[in-house]
Amino acid sequence: MECLVGMQCNDFVMVAADMTAARSILVKKSDHKKYLKLSDKLLMAVTGESGDTNQFSEYVAKNIMLYKMRNGYELSPAAAASFTRRNLAGYLRSRTPYHVNLLVAGYDDESGKPELYYMDYLASMAKLPYASHGYGGSFTTSILDRHFRPDMTRAQAYALMIECVKEVQKRLIINLPNFSVTVIDKEGIVDMEPITQAVIANQATA
Amino acid sequence: SERYSFSLTTFSPSGKLVQIEYALQAVASGAPSVGIKAVNGVVLATEKKNKSILFEDHSTYKIEQITKNIGMVYSGMGPDYRLLVRRARKMAQDYYLMYHENIPTGQLVYKVGQVMQEYTQSGGVRPFGVSLLICGWDEPGKPLLFQCDPSGAYFAWKATAMGKNNVNGKTFLEKRYSEDLELEDAVHTAILTLKEGFEGQMTEDNIEIGICNDDGFRRLTPQEVKDYLANI
Repeated sequence: MECLVGMQCNDFVMVAADMTAARSILVKKSDHKKYLKLSDKLLMAVTGESGDTNQFSEYVAKNIMLYKMRNGYELSPAAAASFTRRNLAGYLRSRTPYHVNLLVAGYDDESGKPELYYMDYLASMAKLPYASHGYGGSFTTSILDRHFRPDMTRAQAYALMIECVKEVQKRLIINLPNFSVTVIDKEGIVDMEPITQAVIANQATA
Repeated sequence: SERYSFSLTTFSPSGKLVQIEYALQAVASGAPSVGIKAVNGVVLATEKKNKSILFEDHSTYKIEQITKNIGMVYSGMGPDYRLLVRRARKMAQDYYLMYHENIPTGQLVYKVGQVMQEYTQSGGVRPFGVSLLICGWDEPGKPLLFQCDPSGAYFAWKATAMGKNNVNGKTFLEKRYSEDLELEDAVHTAILTLKEGFEGQMTEDNIEIGICNDDGFRRLTPQEVKDYLANI
Protein backbone atom coordinates (compact mmCIF):
# COMPACT_ATOMS: atom_id res chain seq x y z
CA MET A 1 0.00 0.00 0.00
CA GLU A 2 2.98 2.25 0.65
CA CYS A 3 4.91 3.91 -2.14
CA LEU A 4 8.48 5.17 -2.45
CA VAL A 5 9.97 6.84 -5.52
CA GLY A 6 13.54 8.01 -6.08
CA MET A 7 15.44 9.60 -8.94
CA GLN A 8 19.13 10.42 -9.23
CA CYS A 9 20.06 13.32 -11.50
CA ASN A 10 23.46 14.81 -12.27
CA ASP A 11 23.69 17.09 -9.20
CA PHE A 12 21.06 15.77 -6.80
CA VAL A 13 18.90 12.84 -5.71
CA MET A 14 15.19 13.31 -5.11
CA VAL A 15 13.16 10.91 -3.00
CA ALA A 16 9.39 10.95 -2.54
CA ALA A 17 7.46 8.87 -0.04
CA ASP A 18 3.75 8.67 0.57
CA MET A 19 2.60 10.12 3.90
CA THR A 20 -0.24 7.78 4.75
CA ALA A 21 0.10 5.73 7.94
CA ALA A 22 -2.77 3.22 7.99
CA ARG A 23 -3.77 0.13 9.96
CA SER A 24 -6.43 -2.10 8.45
CA ILE A 25 -9.29 0.21 7.39
CA LEU A 26 -8.14 3.16 9.49
CA VAL A 27 -5.92 5.97 8.28
CA LYS A 28 -4.00 6.91 11.41
CA LYS A 29 -2.11 9.81 9.90
CA SER A 30 -1.75 11.46 6.52
CA ASP A 31 1.34 13.52 7.29
CA HIS A 32 3.65 10.69 8.32
CA LYS A 33 7.33 10.98 7.37
CA LYS A 34 8.66 7.68 6.05
CA TYR A 35 12.28 8.70 5.81
CA LEU A 36 15.17 9.17 8.21
CA LYS A 37 18.31 11.25 7.88
CA LEU A 38 21.28 8.91 8.37
CA SER A 39 23.82 11.73 8.23
CA ASP A 40 24.26 15.17 6.70
CA LYS A 41 24.15 13.83 3.17
CA LEU A 42 22.52 10.43 3.55
CA LEU A 43 18.84 9.61 3.64
CA MET A 44 16.90 6.37 3.99
CA ALA A 45 13.24 6.07 2.97
CA VAL A 46 11.60 2.98 4.48
CA THR A 47 8.37 1.05 4.03
CA GLY A 48 7.30 -2.33 5.34
CA GLU A 49 6.40 -3.99 8.62
CA SER A 50 5.38 -1.43 11.20
CA GLY A 51 8.03 -1.22 13.92
CA ASP A 52 10.69 -2.94 11.83
CA THR A 53 10.80 0.26 9.78
CA ASN A 54 11.72 2.44 12.78
CA GLN A 55 13.91 -0.12 14.47
CA PHE A 56 16.00 -0.94 11.45
CA SER A 57 16.40 2.60 10.14
CA GLU A 58 17.36 3.94 13.58
CA TYR A 59 19.83 1.07 14.07
CA VAL A 60 21.54 1.90 10.79
CA ALA A 61 21.50 5.64 11.50
CA LYS A 62 23.13 5.17 14.92
CA ASN A 63 25.80 2.84 13.57
CA ILE A 64 26.66 5.34 10.87
CA MET A 65 27.02 7.97 13.57
CA LEU A 66 29.19 5.59 15.61
CA TYR A 67 31.52 5.08 12.66
CA LYS A 68 31.87 8.84 12.37
CA MET A 69 32.61 9.16 16.10
CA ARG A 70 35.18 6.37 16.06
CA ASN A 71 37.05 7.34 12.93
CA GLY A 72 36.56 11.08 12.52
CA TYR A 73 35.09 10.77 9.04
CA GLU A 74 31.82 9.57 7.54
CA LEU A 75 31.00 6.48 5.57
CA SER A 76 30.52 7.04 1.87
CA PRO A 77 26.98 6.43 0.56
CA ALA A 78 28.20 3.23 -1.12
CA ALA A 79 29.74 1.92 2.09
CA ALA A 80 26.68 2.91 4.12
CA ALA A 81 24.42 1.11 1.62
CA SER A 82 26.68 -1.94 1.80
CA PHE A 83 26.53 -1.86 5.59
CA THR A 84 22.73 -1.60 5.49
CA ARG A 85 22.43 -4.47 3.06
CA ARG A 86 24.84 -6.63 5.06
CA ASN A 87 22.72 -6.20 8.18
CA LEU A 88 19.51 -6.97 6.31
CA ALA A 89 21.10 -10.08 4.83
CA GLY A 90 22.39 -11.20 8.22
CA TYR A 91 18.98 -10.97 9.84
CA LEU A 92 17.23 -12.52 6.86
CA ARG A 93 18.02 -16.11 7.80
CA SER A 94 17.49 -15.64 11.51
CA ARG A 95 14.40 -15.99 13.64
CA THR A 96 13.90 -12.22 13.48
CA PRO A 97 14.25 -10.92 9.93
CA TYR A 98 13.44 -7.28 9.17
CA HIS A 99 10.62 -6.89 6.70
CA VAL A 100 11.59 -3.49 5.25
CA ASN A 101 11.97 -2.06 1.76
CA LEU A 102 14.39 0.83 1.39
CA LEU A 103 15.66 3.55 -0.84
CA VAL A 104 19.04 4.86 0.32
CA ALA A 105 19.95 8.21 -1.20
CA GLY A 106 23.14 10.16 -0.65
CA TYR A 107 25.72 12.57 -1.95
CA ASP A 108 29.33 11.37 -2.11
CA ASP A 109 31.63 14.35 -1.45
CA GLU A 110 34.69 12.46 -2.67
CA SER A 111 33.34 11.58 -6.09
CA GLY A 112 31.10 14.65 -6.27
CA LYS A 113 28.14 12.52 -7.36
CA PRO A 114 24.70 11.80 -5.95
CA GLU A 115 23.76 8.13 -5.53
CA LEU A 116 20.54 6.14 -5.18
CA TYR A 117 20.36 2.57 -3.90
CA TYR A 118 17.31 0.30 -4.05
CA MET A 119 17.12 -2.40 -1.38
CA ASP A 120 14.35 -4.82 -0.56
CA TYR A 121 13.49 -7.06 2.39
CA LEU A 122 15.39 -9.97 0.84
CA ALA A 123 18.56 -7.87 1.05
CA SER A 124 18.97 -7.45 -2.68
CA MET A 125 20.54 -4.15 -3.64
CA ALA A 126 20.93 -2.20 -6.87
CA LYS A 127 22.42 1.19 -7.59
CA LEU A 128 19.94 2.83 -9.93
CA PRO A 129 19.19 6.10 -11.72
CA TYR A 130 15.56 5.81 -10.58
CA ALA A 131 13.71 3.30 -8.42
CA SER A 132 10.50 2.68 -6.55
CA HIS A 133 8.81 0.44 -3.98
CA GLY A 134 5.25 -0.70 -3.53
CA TYR A 135 2.28 -1.29 -5.84
CA GLY A 136 2.44 2.39 -6.76
CA GLY A 137 6.00 1.76 -7.87
CA SER A 138 4.80 -0.24 -10.84
CA PHE A 139 3.06 2.83 -12.23
CA THR A 140 5.88 5.26 -11.47
CA THR A 141 8.47 3.03 -13.12
CA SER A 142 6.55 3.32 -16.39
CA ILE A 143 6.39 7.09 -16.10
CA LEU A 144 10.10 7.36 -15.27
CA ASP A 145 11.10 4.96 -18.06
CA ARG A 146 9.38 7.33 -20.45
CA HIS A 147 10.30 10.76 -19.05
CA PHE A 148 13.38 10.51 -16.79
CA ARG A 149 16.50 12.35 -17.89
CA PRO A 150 19.67 12.65 -15.75
CA ASP A 151 20.21 16.32 -16.65
CA MET A 152 16.94 17.60 -15.18
CA THR A 153 16.82 20.61 -12.87
CA ARG A 154 15.24 20.36 -9.44
CA ALA A 155 12.09 22.05 -10.75
CA GLN A 156 11.84 19.62 -13.65
CA ALA A 157 12.45 16.64 -11.37
CA TYR A 158 9.78 17.89 -8.97
CA ALA A 159 7.36 18.29 -11.89
CA LEU A 160 8.14 14.73 -12.99
CA MET A 161 7.59 13.56 -9.43
CA ILE A 162 4.16 15.21 -9.52
CA GLU A 163 3.41 13.28 -12.74
CA CYS A 164 4.39 10.06 -10.94
CA VAL A 165 2.15 10.88 -7.99
CA LYS A 166 -0.75 11.77 -10.28
CA GLU A 167 -0.46 8.42 -12.01
CA VAL A 168 -0.40 6.55 -8.70
CA GLN A 169 -3.42 8.48 -7.49
CA LYS A 170 -5.27 7.80 -10.74
CA ARG A 171 -4.56 4.06 -11.00
CA LEU A 172 -3.89 2.66 -7.51
CA ILE A 173 -7.03 1.60 -5.67
CA ILE A 174 -5.56 2.74 -2.36
CA ASN A 175 -5.87 6.47 -1.78
CA LEU A 176 -2.46 8.13 -1.19
CA PRO A 177 -3.22 11.84 -1.09
CA ASN A 178 0.11 13.20 0.15
CA PHE A 179 3.75 12.57 -0.76
CA SER A 180 6.80 14.05 1.00
CA VAL A 181 9.66 15.11 -1.27
CA THR A 182 13.29 15.41 -0.17
CA VAL A 183 16.37 16.41 -2.14
CA ILE A 184 20.03 15.66 -1.36
CA ASP A 185 22.83 17.56 -3.07
CA LYS A 186 26.27 18.83 -2.24
CA GLU A 187 24.80 21.28 0.27
CA GLY A 188 22.97 18.60 2.21
CA ILE A 189 19.40 17.45 2.71
CA VAL A 190 16.50 19.78 1.90
CA ASP A 191 12.80 19.04 2.33
CA MET A 192 10.77 20.26 -0.60
CA GLU A 193 7.08 21.10 -0.47
CA PRO A 194 5.04 17.90 -0.01
CA ILE A 195 2.94 16.97 -3.02
CA THR A 196 -0.64 17.42 -1.79
CA GLN A 197 -3.99 17.86 -3.52
CA ALA A 198 -3.49 21.63 -3.39
CA VAL A 199 -0.07 21.39 -5.04
CA ILE A 200 -1.43 19.19 -7.82
CA ALA A 201 -4.37 21.53 -8.38
CA ASN A 202 -2.00 24.53 -8.57
CA GLN A 203 0.24 22.78 -11.03
CA ALA A 204 -2.75 22.04 -13.23
CA THR A 205 -3.74 25.72 -13.36
CA ALA A 206 -0.14 27.03 -13.66
CA SER B 1 43.09 -19.24 29.12
CA GLU B 2 39.47 -19.78 30.07
CA ARG B 3 40.65 -21.30 33.35
CA TYR B 4 42.11 -17.99 34.50
CA SER B 5 39.64 -15.29 35.41
CA PHE B 6 42.43 -12.95 36.46
CA SER B 7 44.92 -11.07 34.35
CA LEU B 8 48.58 -12.01 34.52
CA THR B 9 49.52 -8.46 33.57
CA THR B 10 49.23 -6.47 36.77
CA PHE B 11 50.62 -3.17 38.01
CA SER B 12 53.81 -2.93 39.99
CA PRO B 13 54.01 -0.43 42.88
CA SER B 14 55.80 2.03 40.59
CA GLY B 15 52.84 2.05 38.24
CA LYS B 16 54.43 -0.04 35.49
CA LEU B 17 53.01 -3.08 33.76
CA VAL B 18 56.09 -5.23 34.04
CA GLN B 19 54.88 -7.84 31.55
CA ILE B 20 54.69 -5.16 28.88
CA GLU B 21 58.18 -3.93 29.79
CA TYR B 22 59.44 -7.47 29.33
CA ALA B 23 57.59 -7.79 26.05
CA LEU B 24 59.30 -4.62 24.85
CA GLN B 25 62.58 -6.23 25.88
CA ALA B 26 61.76 -9.20 23.70
CA VAL B 27 61.17 -6.77 20.84
CA ALA B 28 64.37 -4.82 21.48
CA SER B 29 66.45 -7.97 21.32
CA GLY B 30 64.74 -9.19 18.15
CA ALA B 31 66.00 -8.88 14.58
CA PRO B 32 66.20 -5.30 13.26
CA SER B 33 63.40 -3.94 11.09
CA VAL B 34 63.06 -0.55 9.40
CA GLY B 35 60.23 1.46 7.86
CA ILE B 36 60.52 4.66 5.82
CA LYS B 37 57.75 6.79 4.35
CA ALA B 38 58.49 8.40 0.98
CA VAL B 39 56.55 10.89 -1.09
CA ASN B 40 55.29 8.19 -3.43
CA GLY B 41 55.26 5.13 -1.19
CA VAL B 42 56.49 3.32 1.91
CA VAL B 43 59.30 0.79 2.34
CA LEU B 44 59.62 -1.94 4.99
CA ALA B 45 62.87 -3.81 5.44
CA THR B 46 64.12 -6.42 7.86
CA GLU B 47 67.10 -8.59 8.57
CA LYS B 48 66.38 -12.27 8.13
CA LYS B 49 69.41 -14.22 9.28
CA ASN B 50 69.08 -17.98 9.38
CA LYS B 51 71.20 -19.62 12.04
CA SER B 52 72.46 -22.41 9.81
CA ILE B 53 73.19 -22.86 6.14
CA LEU B 54 70.86 -25.86 6.26
CA PHE B 55 67.85 -23.54 6.59
CA GLU B 56 65.74 -23.27 3.47
CA ASP B 57 65.81 -19.57 2.54
CA HIS B 58 62.65 -18.03 1.10
CA SER B 59 60.29 -20.73 2.36
CA THR B 60 58.89 -18.50 5.09
CA TYR B 61 58.67 -14.72 5.11
CA LYS B 62 58.70 -11.97 7.67
CA ILE B 63 57.26 -9.26 5.47
CA GLU B 64 53.59 -10.12 4.85
CA GLN B 65 50.76 -8.60 2.82
CA ILE B 66 47.56 -7.96 4.75
CA THR B 67 45.42 -6.49 1.97
CA LYS B 68 46.18 -5.34 -1.53
CA ASN B 69 47.58 -2.08 -0.19
CA ILE B 70 48.65 -2.84 3.38
CA GLY B 71 51.80 -4.67 4.44
CA MET B 72 53.41 -5.60 7.74
CA VAL B 73 56.75 -6.53 9.31
CA TYR B 74 57.86 -7.11 12.91
CA SER B 75 60.65 -7.28 15.42
CA GLY B 76 60.37 -9.86 18.19
CA MET B 77 58.79 -13.31 18.36
CA GLY B 78 57.85 -14.84 15.02
CA PRO B 79 54.99 -17.08 16.18
CA ASP B 80 53.25 -14.17 17.96
CA TYR B 81 53.60 -12.18 14.73
CA ARG B 82 51.99 -14.86 12.61
CA LEU B 83 48.90 -14.86 14.80
CA LEU B 84 48.57 -11.10 14.40
CA VAL B 85 48.97 -11.37 10.63
CA ARG B 86 46.07 -13.85 10.55
CA ARG B 87 43.93 -11.62 12.75
CA ALA B 88 44.74 -8.51 10.71
CA ARG B 89 43.87 -10.26 7.44
CA LYS B 90 40.55 -11.44 8.84
CA MET B 91 39.70 -8.01 10.23
CA ALA B 92 40.43 -6.46 6.85
CA GLN B 93 38.13 -8.94 5.11
CA ASP B 94 35.38 -8.51 7.71
CA TYR B 95 35.53 -4.79 6.98
CA TYR B 96 35.26 -5.43 3.26
CA LEU B 97 32.32 -7.76 3.81
CA MET B 98 30.51 -5.10 5.77
CA TYR B 99 31.29 -1.98 3.73
CA HIS B 100 32.39 -3.29 0.34
CA GLU B 101 35.40 -0.99 0.61
CA ASN B 102 39.05 -1.61 1.51
CA ILE B 103 39.81 -0.94 5.15
CA PRO B 104 41.62 2.36 5.67
CA THR B 105 45.13 1.69 7.02
CA GLY B 106 44.54 3.75 10.16
CA GLN B 107 41.46 1.73 11.04
CA LEU B 108 43.32 -1.56 10.63
CA VAL B 109 46.12 -0.27 12.86
CA TYR B 110 43.52 0.76 15.44
CA LYS B 111 41.92 -2.70 15.40
CA VAL B 112 45.26 -4.52 15.62
CA GLY B 113 46.27 -2.24 18.50
CA GLN B 114 43.00 -3.10 20.18
CA VAL B 115 43.75 -6.83 19.90
CA MET B 116 47.20 -6.33 21.38
CA GLN B 117 45.75 -4.31 24.26
CA GLU B 118 43.20 -7.03 25.02
CA TYR B 119 46.05 -9.45 25.70
CA THR B 120 47.31 -7.11 28.42
CA GLN B 121 43.99 -7.09 30.25
CA SER B 122 42.52 -10.57 29.82
CA GLY B 123 42.62 -13.68 31.96
CA GLY B 124 45.40 -16.16 31.58
CA VAL B 125 47.22 -14.65 28.59
CA ARG B 126 50.50 -12.81 28.10
CA PRO B 127 51.16 -9.79 25.89
CA PHE B 128 52.44 -10.30 22.33
CA GLY B 129 56.23 -10.31 22.12
CA VAL B 130 56.29 -8.23 18.92
CA SER B 131 56.20 -4.68 17.72
CA LEU B 132 54.68 -4.31 14.26
CA LEU B 133 55.41 -1.91 11.44
CA ILE B 134 52.30 -1.49 9.31
CA CYS B 135 52.48 0.40 6.03
CA GLY B 136 49.62 1.31 3.75
CA TRP B 137 48.54 3.30 0.77
CA ASP B 138 45.03 4.78 1.15
CA GLU B 139 43.73 6.50 -1.90
CA PRO B 140 44.35 9.13 -3.08
CA GLY B 141 48.09 9.26 -2.84
CA LYS B 142 48.52 8.94 0.92
CA PRO B 143 51.43 6.79 2.14
CA LEU B 144 51.22 5.77 5.80
CA LEU B 145 53.55 4.08 8.29
CA PHE B 146 52.49 2.96 11.77
CA GLN B 147 54.10 1.08 14.65
CA CYS B 148 52.05 -1.14 17.01
CA ASP B 149 53.55 -2.03 20.39
CA PRO B 150 52.82 -4.94 22.78
CA SER B 151 50.94 -2.52 25.02
CA GLY B 152 48.50 -1.80 22.21
CA ALA B 153 49.82 1.72 21.71
CA TYR B 154 50.32 2.78 18.12
CA PHE B 155 52.27 5.61 16.54
CA ALA B 156 52.50 7.11 13.09
CA TRP B 157 56.05 7.51 11.80
CA LYS B 158 57.86 9.17 8.96
CA ALA B 159 60.71 6.72 9.44
CA THR B 160 61.68 4.38 12.24
CA ALA B 161 63.75 1.39 13.29
CA MET B 162 62.87 -1.42 15.70
CA GLY B 163 64.64 -4.37 17.26
CA LYS B 164 68.35 -4.66 17.94
CA ASN B 165 70.26 -1.47 17.32
CA ASN B 166 67.07 0.56 16.97
CA VAL B 167 68.53 3.56 18.81
CA ASN B 168 71.41 3.87 16.32
CA GLY B 169 68.97 3.12 13.52
CA LYS B 170 66.69 5.99 14.48
CA THR B 171 69.65 8.36 14.87
CA PHE B 172 70.84 7.34 11.40
CA LEU B 173 67.35 7.95 9.99
CA GLU B 174 67.05 11.34 11.70
CA LYS B 175 70.08 12.44 9.71
CA ARG B 176 69.18 10.76 6.46
CA TYR B 177 65.42 11.34 6.27
CA SER B 178 63.94 14.16 4.19
CA GLU B 179 60.33 15.06 3.43
CA ASP B 180 60.82 14.76 -0.33
CA LEU B 181 62.40 11.31 -0.38
CA GLU B 182 61.31 9.21 -3.34
CA LEU B 183 60.55 5.51 -2.90
CA GLU B 184 63.73 4.41 -4.70
CA ASP B 185 65.86 6.53 -2.36
CA ALA B 186 63.85 5.34 0.63
CA VAL B 187 64.66 1.70 -0.22
CA HIS B 188 68.32 2.66 -0.53
CA THR B 189 68.22 4.43 2.85
CA ALA B 190 66.42 1.49 4.47
CA ILE B 191 69.14 -0.89 3.30
CA LEU B 192 71.83 1.43 4.63
CA THR B 193 70.04 1.65 7.98
CA LEU B 194 69.98 -2.14 8.24
CA LYS B 195 73.60 -2.26 7.21
CA GLU B 196 74.61 -0.13 10.22
CA GLY B 197 74.16 -3.00 12.64
CA PHE B 198 74.58 -5.88 10.22
CA GLU B 199 77.15 -8.52 11.08
CA GLY B 200 78.69 -10.10 8.01
CA GLN B 201 77.86 -9.76 4.34
CA MET B 202 74.36 -8.51 3.37
CA THR B 203 72.84 -10.54 0.54
CA GLU B 204 69.40 -10.90 -1.07
CA ASP B 205 68.94 -14.08 0.99
CA ASN B 206 69.35 -12.56 4.43
CA ILE B 207 67.25 -9.42 4.17
CA GLU B 208 63.65 -8.88 3.11
CA ILE B 209 62.23 -5.71 1.57
CA GLY B 210 58.61 -4.74 0.93
CA ILE B 211 57.28 -1.66 -0.82
CA CYS B 212 53.88 0.01 -0.84
CA ASN B 213 52.88 2.43 -3.60
CA ASP B 214 49.89 3.18 -5.81
CA ASP B 215 50.08 -0.35 -7.23
CA GLY B 216 49.60 -1.71 -3.73
CA PHE B 217 51.90 -3.58 -1.38
CA ARG B 218 54.37 -6.27 -2.43
CA ARG B 219 57.51 -8.01 -1.25
CA LEU B 220 60.53 -7.51 -3.52
CA THR B 221 61.89 -10.60 -5.24
CA PRO B 222 65.43 -11.71 -4.30
CA GLN B 223 66.61 -10.50 -7.72
CA GLU B 224 65.19 -7.01 -7.11
CA VAL B 225 66.83 -6.93 -3.67
CA LYS B 226 70.11 -7.98 -5.28
CA ASP B 227 69.85 -5.08 -7.74
CA TYR B 228 69.35 -2.59 -4.90
CA LEU B 229 72.27 -4.08 -2.97
CA ALA B 230 74.49 -3.72 -6.02
CA ASN B 231 73.84 0.04 -5.97
CA ILE B 232 74.81 0.81 -2.39
